[in-house]
Amino acid sequence: MSISIKQLFGRKPKSSSIAKQRLKLVITQDRLDVDDRVMTRLHHELAEVLAKYFEFSANSVKMNLKQEGNSYILVADFPYTKFHDLNVRQ
Amino acid sequence: MGKVIVVTSGKGGVGKTTSTANLGTALALLDKTVVVVDADVGLRNLDIVMGLESRIVYTSMDVIEKQCELSKALVRDRRVDGLMLLAASQKNNKDDIQPEQMKAICDKLRTTHDFVLIDSPAGIERGFSNASAGADEAIVVTTPDVSAIRDADRIIGLLQNARIEPINLVINRFSPQLVGNGSMMDQADVLDILNIDLIGIVPEDSEVITSTNRGIPLVYEDASAGAQAYMRIARRLTGQRIPIPDFEQKGLLNNIMNWFKKKK
Repeated sequence: MSISIKQLFGRKPKSSSIAKQRLKLVITQDRLDVDDRVMTRLHHELAEVLAKYFEFSANSVKMNLKQEGNSYILVADFPYTKFHDLNVRQ
Repeated sequence: MGKVIVVTSGKGGVGKTTSTANLGTALALLDKTVVVVDADVGLRNLDIVMGLESRIVYTSMDVIEKQCELSKALVRDRRVDGLMLLAASQKNNKDDIQPEQMKAICDKLRTTHDFVLIDSPAGIERGFSNASAGADEAIVVTTPDVSAIRDADRIIGLLQNARIEPINLVINRFSPQLVGNGSMMDQADVLDILNIDLIGIVPEDSEVITSTNRGIPLVYEDASAGAQAYMRIARRLTGQRIPIPDFEQKGLLNNIMNWFKKKK
């Protein structure tokens, strides 16, 4: 977030903070031993299920693993445009 | 009973051998008895970095193959009391040694010396298993860049699985100037990612290159920033509590002050 605010003011983010951010992400994946293919599959399967309920564009979806203390958190952003009313559809 | 400490990193070229040479020498200068062991079978370099390359007769391979006694394979560093080198074989490879054989050597060396420092090869394969087999503690050397830190994290995981502790971190080739302008991660960033104890920061120092050229470890002449950093780490290894100085320099004023400090 802080990076995008700085970008608004026309300042380039420090490369050291970019490095730290990228490292944190990749190391979390390394530690969990998460395979890229597994993440991609999870991504697709989640999208498949959620598409039944929401309308969203596939390329707006973001999935990340985060570490907080000793636990890992899977954060998935599915910015949706419309909620399907399942009752109406039937 | 002495301590066996493996010096490792995962990634190559971050300063394992330089750190082993300097910490081993520094500990001897602090009146400890030390053996530095080159565990990089097939790609040995600790001998040349320490300037002892012309004096190698036997290697750890000869000891394992019972060609000579362990005590006979140790090369005495004549510049300081209590410092010995056990070289690695250059004509064998890492698979020619078993972890148990390395452990047996370490266990023997620790009965007669205060510190056994093992210079581990890069990588996470057999060479690393051999180097860490006999170790109680580890020093992980990293530089503040993404690839070295990522590899350090892998190695830390393997060391933890092997129940080697404590695992202490050395941040090498630290540039206060680059940290100051936001181009290099600082110690807080590195520690936040790796989550282990920091035992020292070695600032980038061109003297490292010249001392390696000469085969005289930096710590013999203690004027340079790198030498002082290694001496502090060695003191911490002996149990002394010495704070880690703040290397960060912010702005012009600090640069001028540092210039004057150097002049003195």
